[in-house]
Amino acid sequence: MEDRPPSDAELVTRATRGDASAYEEIVRRYETIAFRTAWVITGSAADAEEAAQDGFVKAHRALGRFREGAPLRPWLLTIVANEARNRVRSAGRREALALRVAEERRPDGAVPPPEAALLDSEQRAELLAALARLSEIDRQAIACRYFLELSEEECAAALGCARGTVKSRLSRALARLREQLEPAREASDA
Amino acid sequence: MPELEGMLTRLGGELDYPPTPELAPRVAARVAAEPRGARLRDRLAWRRSLAVALVALLLLAGAALAAAPGVRDAVLEFLGLQGATVERREQLPRLPGTRTLDLGRQVPLADAPRALAFEPLVPAAPGRPDAAYVRRVPGGELSLVYRRRPGLPPAAATGIGLLVSEFRGDLLPEYVGKIGGQTTRIEQLTVDGEPAIWIEGAPHFFFYRSPDGALEERPLRLARNVLLLERGDVLVRLEADFDRERAVEIARSLR
Repeated sequence: MEDRPPSDAELVTRATRGDASAYEEIVRRYETIAFRTAWVITGSAADAEEAAQDGFVKAHRALGRFREGAPLRPWLLTIVANEARNRVRSAGRREALALRVAEERRPDGAVPPPEAALLDSEQRAELLAALARLSEIDRQAIACRYFLELSEEECAAALGCARGTVKSRLSRALARLREQLEPAREASDA
Repeated sequence: MPELEGMLTRLGGELDYPPTPELAPRVAARVAAEPRGARLRDRLAWRRSLAVALVALLLLAGAALAAAPGVRDAVLEFLGLQGATVERREQLPRLPGTRTLDLGRQVPLADAPRALAFEPLVPAAPGRPDAAYVRRVPGGELSLVYRRRPGLPPAAATGIGLLVSEFRGDLLPEYVGKIGGQTTRIEQLTVDGEPAIWIEGAPHFFFYRSPDGALEERPLRLARNVLLLERGDVLVRLEADFDRERAVEIARSLR
Protein backbone atom coordinates (compact mmCIF):
# COMPACT_ATOMS: atom_id res chain seq x y z
CA MET A 1 0.00 0.00 0.00
CA GLU A 2 1.28 3.42 -0.89
CA ASP A 3 2.37 5.35 2.19
CA ARG A 4 2.34 8.89 0.87
CA PRO A 5 2.32 11.93 3.14
CA PRO A 6 -1.10 13.57 3.42
CA SER A 7 -1.75 16.49 1.10
CA ASP A 8 -2.22 20.01 2.43
CA ALA A 9 -5.92 19.79 1.58
CA GLU A 10 -6.30 16.59 3.62
CA LEU A 11 -4.48 18.14 6.57
CA VAL A 12 -6.64 21.28 6.40
CA THR A 13 -9.83 19.21 6.37
CA ARG A 14 -8.67 17.21 9.38
CA ALA A 15 -7.47 20.30 11.25
CA THR A 16 -10.77 22.08 10.61
CA ARG A 17 -12.53 19.12 12.23
CA GLY A 18 -10.39 19.57 15.32
CA ASP A 19 -7.51 17.15 14.62
CA ALA A 20 -4.67 18.87 16.49
CA SER A 21 -1.99 16.59 15.08
CA ALA A 22 -3.00 17.58 11.54
CA TYR A 23 -2.44 21.24 12.27
CA GLU A 24 0.85 20.48 13.97
CA GLU A 25 1.91 18.71 10.78
CA ILE A 26 0.97 21.79 8.74
CA VAL A 27 3.08 24.01 11.00
CA ARG A 28 6.01 21.60 10.77
CA ARG A 29 5.71 21.58 7.00
CA TYR A 30 5.89 25.35 6.66
CA GLU A 31 7.62 26.64 9.80
CA THR A 32 11.00 27.13 8.12
CA ILE A 33 9.75 29.14 5.18
CA ALA A 34 7.38 31.11 7.44
CA PHE A 35 10.13 31.90 9.95
CA ARG A 36 12.60 32.92 7.24
CA THR A 37 10.01 35.13 5.54
CA ALA A 38 9.32 36.86 8.85
CA TRP A 39 13.08 37.20 9.39
CA VAL A 40 13.54 38.91 6.02
CA ILE A 41 10.76 41.36 6.96
CA THR A 42 11.78 42.11 10.55
CA GLY A 43 15.54 41.59 10.35
CA SER A 44 15.38 39.97 13.80
CA ALA A 45 15.25 36.27 14.64
CA ALA A 46 13.37 36.96 17.90
CA ASP A 47 10.69 39.06 16.19
CA ALA A 48 10.46 36.53 13.37
CA GLU A 49 9.87 33.74 15.85
CA GLU A 50 7.05 35.64 17.56
CA ALA A 51 5.52 36.70 14.26
CA ALA A 52 5.60 33.17 12.85
CA GLN A 53 4.16 31.67 16.01
CA ASP A 54 1.36 34.25 16.27
CA GLY A 55 0.71 33.91 12.54
CA PHE A 56 0.22 30.15 12.78
CA VAL A 57 -2.11 30.55 15.76
CA LYS A 58 -4.17 33.13 13.88
CA ALA A 59 -4.23 30.98 10.77
CA HIS A 60 -5.66 28.13 12.84
CA ARG A 61 -8.46 30.38 14.05
CA ALA A 62 -9.18 31.39 10.48
CA LEU A 63 -9.04 27.86 9.01
CA GLY A 64 -12.82 27.77 8.70
CA ARG A 65 -12.59 30.62 6.24
CA PHE A 66 -9.80 29.10 4.15
CA ARG A 67 -11.08 28.59 0.61
CA GLU A 68 -11.18 24.91 -0.21
CA GLY A 69 -8.77 23.97 -2.98
CA ALA A 70 -6.69 27.16 -2.69
CA PRO A 71 -2.94 26.74 -2.16
CA LEU A 72 -2.14 26.72 1.54
CA ARG A 73 1.42 28.05 1.59
CA PRO A 74 0.75 31.56 0.20
CA TRP A 75 -2.24 31.90 2.53
CA LEU A 76 -0.14 31.01 5.58
CA LEU A 77 2.73 33.23 4.47
CA THR A 78 0.34 36.15 4.02
CA ILE A 79 -0.82 35.86 7.63
CA VAL A 80 2.71 35.45 9.00
CA ALA A 81 4.02 38.33 6.86
CA ASN A 82 1.23 40.59 8.15
CA GLU A 83 2.23 39.75 11.71
CA ALA A 84 5.85 40.51 10.90
CA ARG A 85 5.05 43.84 9.24
CA ASN A 86 2.80 44.83 12.17
CA ARG A 87 5.72 44.26 14.50
CA VAL A 88 8.02 46.43 12.43
CA ARG A 89 5.34 49.12 12.21
CA SER A 90 4.59 49.18 15.90
CA ALA A 91 8.28 49.19 16.83
CA GLY A 92 8.83 52.07 14.41
CA ARG A 93 12.10 50.53 13.28
CA ARG A 94 13.52 47.34 11.89
CA GLU A 95 16.89 45.70 12.20
CA ALA A 96 19.00 45.59 9.05
CA LEU A 97 18.98 42.16 7.49
CA ALA A 98 22.35 40.61 8.30
CA LEU A 99 23.27 38.41 5.36
CA ARG A 100 26.10 36.01 6.04
CA VAL A 101 27.28 32.93 4.28
CA ALA A 102 27.23 29.71 6.23
CA GLU A 103 30.65 28.36 7.04
CA GLU A 104 31.50 24.74 6.38
CA ARG A 105 28.61 23.55 8.44
CA ARG A 106 26.57 20.66 7.25
CA PRO A 107 24.88 19.43 10.39
CA ASP A 108 22.83 16.57 9.10
CA GLY A 109 25.51 15.14 6.86
CA ALA A 110 23.88 16.72 3.81
CA VAL A 111 25.72 16.18 0.57
CA PRO A 112 27.40 19.41 -0.48
CA PRO A 113 26.09 20.79 -3.75
CA PRO A 114 28.21 20.15 -6.84
CA GLU A 115 31.14 22.52 -7.30
CA ALA A 116 29.50 24.14 -10.30
CA ALA A 117 26.62 25.32 -8.16
CA LEU A 118 28.81 27.12 -5.66
CA LEU A 119 29.97 30.69 -5.94
CA ASP A 120 33.65 31.35 -5.64
CA SER A 121 34.61 33.31 -2.60
CA GLU A 122 35.33 36.47 -4.56
CA GLN A 123 31.92 36.46 -6.26
CA ARG A 124 30.26 35.80 -2.96
CA ALA A 125 32.05 38.64 -1.19
CA GLU A 126 31.27 41.03 -4.05
CA LEU A 127 27.61 40.10 -4.05
CA LEU A 128 27.27 40.40 -0.30
CA ALA A 129 28.99 43.78 -0.28
CA ALA A 130 26.77 45.05 -3.10
CA LEU A 131 23.65 43.76 -1.32
CA ALA A 132 24.71 45.52 1.85
CA ARG A 133 24.75 48.83 -0.02
CA LEU A 134 21.16 48.43 -1.26
CA SER A 135 18.15 49.89 0.49
CA GLU A 136 16.24 47.62 2.83
CA ILE A 137 13.32 47.58 0.39
CA ASP A 138 15.49 46.35 -2.49
CA ARG A 139 17.25 43.83 -0.28
CA GLN A 140 13.93 42.43 0.93
CA ALA A 141 12.61 42.03 -2.61
CA ILE A 142 15.75 40.16 -3.68
CA ALA A 143 15.76 38.03 -0.52
CA CYS A 144 12.14 36.96 -1.00
CA ARG A 145 12.46 36.07 -4.67
CA TYR A 146 15.95 34.62 -4.94
CA PHE A 147 17.01 33.54 -1.47
CA LEU A 148 13.69 32.17 -0.22
CA GLU A 149 12.50 31.44 -3.76
CA LEU A 150 8.98 32.62 -3.00
CA SER A 151 6.43 32.70 -5.79
CA GLU A 152 5.23 36.03 -7.13
CA GLU A 153 2.07 35.77 -5.03
CA GLU A 154 4.09 34.96 -1.92
CA CYS A 155 6.52 37.81 -2.61
CA ALA A 156 3.57 40.20 -2.83
CA ALA A 157 2.35 38.95 0.55
CA ALA A 158 5.77 39.24 2.14
CA LEU A 159 6.54 42.67 0.71
CA GLY A 160 3.06 44.00 1.38
CA CYS A 161 2.54 45.13 -2.21
CA ALA A 162 0.18 44.25 -5.04
CA ARG A 163 1.03 41.17 -7.04
CA GLY A 164 1.35 43.28 -10.14
CA THR A 165 4.12 45.42 -8.65
CA VAL A 166 6.38 42.55 -7.54
CA LYS A 167 8.03 42.29 -10.97
CA SER A 168 8.74 46.01 -11.22
CA ARG A 169 10.12 46.15 -7.69
CA LEU A 170 12.36 43.22 -8.40
CA SER A 171 13.64 44.60 -11.67
CA ARG A 172 14.44 47.94 -10.03
CA ALA A 173 16.22 46.14 -7.18
CA LEU A 174 18.26 44.05 -9.64
CA ALA A 175 19.18 47.14 -11.65
CA ARG A 176 20.46 48.85 -8.53
CA LEU A 177 22.36 45.73 -7.53
CA ARG A 178 24.03 45.69 -10.94
CA GLU A 179 24.99 49.33 -10.48
CA GLN A 180 26.57 48.44 -7.17
CA LEU A 181 28.47 45.55 -8.78
CA GLU A 182 29.82 47.52 -11.73
CA PRO A 183 32.51 49.52 -9.91
CA ALA A 184 33.84 46.34 -8.34
CA ARG A 185 33.95 44.64 -11.74
CA GLU A 186 35.68 47.59 -13.38
CA ALA A 187 38.23 47.72 -10.59
CA SER A 188 38.99 44.03 -10.91
CA ASP A 189 39.25 44.28 -14.73
CA ALA A 190 41.67 47.20 -14.53
CA MET B 1 21.29 39.37 -16.99
CA PRO B 2 20.08 35.93 -15.97
CA GLU B 3 23.58 35.20 -14.68
CA LEU B 4 23.05 37.60 -11.79
CA GLU B 5 19.74 35.98 -10.90
CA GLY B 6 21.39 32.56 -10.94
CA MET B 7 24.15 33.83 -8.69
CA LEU B 8 21.62 35.21 -6.25
CA THR B 9 19.75 31.92 -6.14
CA ARG B 10 23.02 30.10 -5.45
CA LEU B 11 23.92 32.63 -2.77
CA GLY B 12 20.51 31.99 -1.18
CA GLY B 13 21.46 28.35 -0.82
CA GLU B 14 24.68 29.23 0.97
CA LEU B 15 23.31 31.83 3.40
CA ASP B 16 23.51 31.35 7.12
CA TYR B 17 19.88 31.72 8.19
CA PRO B 18 19.05 31.92 11.87
CA PRO B 19 18.03 28.43 13.00
CA THR B 20 14.29 27.82 12.68
CA PRO B 21 12.76 27.52 16.15
CA GLU B 22 10.54 24.55 16.86
CA LEU B 23 7.23 26.23 16.31
CA ALA B 24 4.95 23.23 15.85
CA PRO B 25 4.71 22.10 19.51
CA ARG B 26 4.36 25.68 20.77
CA VAL B 27 1.66 26.53 18.26
CA ALA B 28 -0.10 23.25 19.10
CA ALA B 29 -0.05 24.12 22.81
CA ARG B 30 -1.49 27.59 22.19
CA VAL B 31 -4.14 26.24 19.85
CA ALA B 32 -5.12 23.58 22.38
CA ALA B 33 -5.47 26.25 25.06
CA GLU B 34 -7.89 28.39 23.13
CA PRO B 35 -10.49 26.34 21.29
CA ARG B 36 -13.46 27.99 22.95
CA GLY B 37 -12.14 31.46 22.35
CA ALA B 38 -11.23 30.73 18.78
CA ARG B 39 -14.63 29.35 17.92
CA LEU B 40 -16.40 32.15 19.70
CA ARG B 41 -14.36 34.89 18.11
CA ASP B 42 -14.66 33.44 14.64
CA ARG B 43 -18.37 33.44 14.95
CA LEU B 44 -18.35 36.98 16.25
CA ALA B 45 -16.08 38.18 13.51
CA TRP B 46 -18.18 36.42 10.93
CA ARG B 47 -21.38 38.10 11.99
CA ARG B 48 -19.62 41.28 12.98
CA SER B 49 -22.05 41.63 15.80
CA LEU B 50 -22.33 40.78 19.41
CA ALA B 51 -23.46 37.22 19.68
CA VAL B 52 -25.92 36.39 22.37
CA ALA B 53 -25.81 32.73 23.21
CA LEU B 54 -28.35 31.42 25.61
CA VAL B 55 -27.66 27.77 25.01
CA ALA B 56 -24.58 25.86 26.12
CA LEU B 57 -23.49 28.84 28.14
CA LEU B 58 -21.98 26.79 30.86
CA LEU B 59 -19.59 25.22 28.40
CA LEU B 60 -18.54 28.53 26.96
CA ALA B 61 -18.16 30.08 30.33
CA GLY B 62 -16.09 27.23 31.74
CA ALA B 63 -12.92 29.29 31.80
CA ALA B 64 -14.59 32.12 33.62
CA LEU B 65 -16.10 29.80 36.16
CA ALA B 66 -12.74 28.33 36.90
CA ALA B 67 -11.20 31.80 37.00
CA ALA B 68 -13.52 32.66 39.82
CA PRO B 69 -13.13 29.69 42.12
CA GLY B 70 -16.19 28.85 44.08
CA VAL B 71 -18.50 30.65 41.70
CA ARG B 72 -20.64 28.06 40.06
CA ASP B 73 -23.93 29.79 39.54
CA ALA B 74 -25.86 29.48 36.35
CA VAL B 75 -24.82 31.80 33.57
CA LEU B 76 -27.87 33.51 32.15
CA GLU B 77 -26.35 35.43 29.30
CA PHE B 78 -23.00 35.49 27.53
CA LEU B 79 -21.71 38.28 25.29
CA GLY B 80 -18.35 38.71 23.67
CA LEU B 81 -16.10 41.10 21.85
CA GLN B 82 -12.72 40.37 20.38
CA GLY B 83 -10.70 40.12 23.57
CA ALA B 84 -13.47 40.32 26.15
CA THR B 85 -16.40 38.37 27.52
CA VAL B 86 -19.37 39.52 29.56
CA GLU B 87 -21.58 37.15 31.49
CA ARG B 88 -24.76 37.60 33.44
CA ARG B 89 -25.24 35.15 36.26
CA GLU B 90 -28.05 34.20 38.57
CA GLN B 91 -25.94 35.09 41.56
CA LEU B 92 -22.85 37.19 41.87
CA PRO B 93 -19.69 35.89 43.48
CA ARG B 94 -18.98 37.15 46.98
CA LEU B 95 -17.64 40.67 47.11
CA PRO B 96 -13.86 40.56 47.00
CA GLY B 97 -11.80 42.77 49.31
CA THR B 98 -10.48 46.07 48.03
CA ARG B 99 -7.68 45.46 45.62
CA THR B 100 -4.90 47.67 44.48
CA LEU B 101 -4.66 48.05 40.75
CA ASP B 102 -1.83 46.20 39.06
CA LEU B 103 -1.39 47.94 35.75
CA GLY B 104 2.19 46.97 34.95
CA ARG B 105 5.13 49.34 34.55
CA GLN B 106 4.67 53.11 34.51
CA VAL B 107 6.14 54.78 31.42
CA PRO B 108 6.00 58.23 29.86
CA LEU B 109 3.08 58.15 27.41
CA ALA B 110 5.44 58.99 24.55
CA ASP B 111 7.44 55.81 25.25
CA ALA B 112 4.41 53.51 25.45
CA PRO B 113 4.30 52.65 21.71
CA ARG B 114 7.64 50.87 22.02
CA ALA B 115 6.03 48.26 24.25
CA LEU B 116 2.88 47.86 22.16
CA ALA B 117 1.98 46.13 18.90
CA PHE B 118 -0.66 48.76 18.16
CA GLU B 119 -1.01 52.51 18.01
CA PRO B 120 -2.18 53.76 21.41
CA LEU B 121 -5.59 55.41 21.37
CA VAL B 122 -5.84 58.38 23.70
CA PRO B 123 -9.25 59.98 24.30
CA ALA B 124 -9.20 63.72 23.72
CA ALA B 125 -12.38 64.42 25.72
CA PRO B 126 -11.04 64.04 29.30
CA GLY B 127 -7.77 65.88 28.62
CA ARG B 128 -4.29 64.45 29.10
CA PRO B 129 -3.92 61.30 31.20
CA ASP B 130 -2.03 61.63 34.48
CA ALA B 131 -0.12 58.39 34.06
CA ALA B 132 0.45 55.61 31.54
CA TYR B 133 1.33 51.98 32.26
CA VAL B 134 2.29 49.07 30.05
CA ARG B 135 1.96 45.41 30.84
CA ARG B 136 3.88 42.64 29.08
CA VAL B 137 1.35 40.43 27.35
CA PRO B 138 1.30 39.45 23.65
CA GLY B 139 0.91 42.74 21.78
CA GLY B 140 1.23 44.66 25.07
CA GLU B 141 -1.44 46.27 27.20
CA LEU B 142 -1.69 50.00 27.80
CA SER B 143 -3.47 51.58 30.77
CA LEU B 144 -4.14 55.31 31.00
CA VAL B 145 -5.00 56.69 34.41
CA TYR B 146 -6.91 59.95 34.94
CA ARG B 147 -7.27 61.51 38.37
CA ARG B 148 -10.62 62.98 39.36
CA ARG B 149 -11.84 65.81 37.16
CA PRO B 150 -15.19 67.39 36.31
CA GLY B 151 -17.64 64.66 35.34
CA LEU B 152 -15.25 61.92 36.50
CA PRO B 153 -15.48 61.53 40.28
CA PRO B 154 -12.85 59.47 42.09
CA ALA B 155 -13.43 55.79 42.75
CA ALA B 156 -13.68 55.07 46.46
CA ALA B 157 -11.06 52.32 46.41
CA THR B 158 -8.43 53.84 44.13
CA GLY B 159 -9.13 57.57 43.84
CA ILE B 160 -9.00 57.22 40.06
CA GLY B 161 -11.42 59.25 37.92
CA LEU B 162 -11.11 57.26 34.68
CA LEU B 163 -9.21 54.15 33.70
CA VAL B 164 -8.63 53.38 30.02
CA SER B 165 -7.11 50.00 29.06
CA GLU B 166 -6.18 48.85 25.58
CA PHE B 167 -4.79 45.64 24.13
CA ARG B 168 -4.86 43.61 20.92
CA GLY B 169 -8.08 41.63 21.19
CA ASP B 170 -7.07 39.44 18.27
CA LEU B 171 -3.92 38.31 20.08
CA LEU B 172 -5.61 37.95 23.45
CA PRO B 173 -8.96 36.29 22.95
CA GLU B 174 -11.16 36.46 26.03
CA TYR B 175 -8.40 38.30 27.90
CA VAL B 176 -10.72 40.30 30.12
CA GLY B 177 -13.97 39.11 31.58
CA LYS B 178 -16.91 40.72 33.31
CA ILE B 179 -19.47 39.06 35.50
CA GLY B 180 -22.71 40.83 36.17
CA GLY B 181 -25.79 39.91 38.14
CA GLN B 182 -29.45 39.95 37.23
CA THR B 183 -29.82 43.63 38.04
CA THR B 184 -26.71 44.74 36.19
CA ARG B 185 -27.57 46.62 33.01
CA ILE B 186 -25.70 45.02 30.10
CA GLU B 187 -26.34 46.62 26.75
CA GLN B 188 -24.96 46.04 23.28
CA LEU B 189 -24.36 49.11 21.18
CA THR B 190 -22.16 50.42 18.41
CA VAL B 191 -19.75 53.32 18.70
CA ASP B 192 -18.79 54.83 15.36
CA GLY B 193 -19.90 51.65 13.66
CA GLU B 194 -17.85 49.31 15.85
CA PRO B 195 -19.38 46.89 18.36
CA ALA B 196 -19.39 47.82 22.03
CA ILE B 197 -20.89 46.66 25.32
CA TRP B 198 -22.07 48.99 28.09
CA ILE B 199 -22.22 47.65 31.64
CA GLU B 200 -23.84 49.80 34.28
CA GLY B 201 -25.12 49.77 37.80
CA ALA B 202 -25.35 47.01 40.39
CA PRO B 203 -22.03 45.52 41.38
CA HIS B 204 -20.25 43.61 38.70
CA PHE B 205 -16.80 42.12 38.58
CA PHE B 206 -13.76 42.25 36.38
CA PHE B 207 -10.96 39.75 35.89
CA TYR B 208 -8.15 38.77 33.52
CA ARG B 209 -7.33 35.49 31.91
CA SER B 210 -3.69 34.82 31.22
CA PRO B 211 -2.64 35.44 27.60
CA ASP B 212 -1.83 31.82 26.76
CA GLY B 213 -5.43 30.86 27.45
CA ALA B 214 -4.65 29.25 30.78
CA LEU B 215 -6.48 30.65 33.74
CA GLU B 216 -5.23 33.63 35.60
CA GLU B 217 -5.38 33.50 39.36
CA ARG B 218 -5.80 37.21 39.68
CA PRO B 219 -8.89 37.70 41.80
CA LEU B 220 -12.01 39.44 40.77
CA ARG B 221 -12.18 43.15 41.20
CA LEU B 222 -15.29 45.19 41.78
CA ALA B 223 -15.76 47.44 38.80
CA ARG B 224 -17.59 50.68 38.17
CA ASN B 225 -19.49 51.47 34.99
CA VAL B 226 -17.65 50.17 31.96
CA LEU B 227 -17.74 50.60 28.22
CA LEU B 228 -15.96 47.89 26.22
CA LEU B 229 -15.43 48.58 22.54
CA GLU B 230 -13.51 47.32 19.56
CA ARG B 231 -11.36 49.60 17.46
CA GLY B 232 -10.04 47.38 14.69
CA ASP B 233 -7.84 44.79 16.39
CA VAL B 234 -7.71 46.78 19.63
CA LEU B 235 -10.08 46.21 22.53
CA VAL B 236 -10.59 49.38 24.56
CA ARG B 237 -12.04 49.40 28.06
CA LEU B 238 -13.23 52.60 29.75
CA GLU B 239 -14.08 52.44 33.44
CA ALA B 240 -15.44 55.33 35.51
CA ASP B 241 -18.46 56.57 37.41
CA PHE B 242 -19.97 57.99 34.25
CA ASP B 243 -23.22 57.51 32.39
CA ARG B 244 -23.53 55.89 29.01
CA GLU B 245 -23.63 59.16 27.07
CA ARG B 246 -20.44 60.45 28.69
CA ALA B 247 -18.73 57.08 28.13
CA VAL B 248 -19.66 57.09 24.45
CA GLU B 249 -18.51 60.70 24.13
CA ILE B 250 -15.10 59.76 25.55
CA ALA B 251 -14.93 56.68 23.31
CA ARG B 252 -15.70 58.79 20.24
CA SER B 253 -12.80 61.07 21.10
CA LEU B 254 -10.26 58.21 20.99
CA ARG B 255 -7.48 59.15 18.57
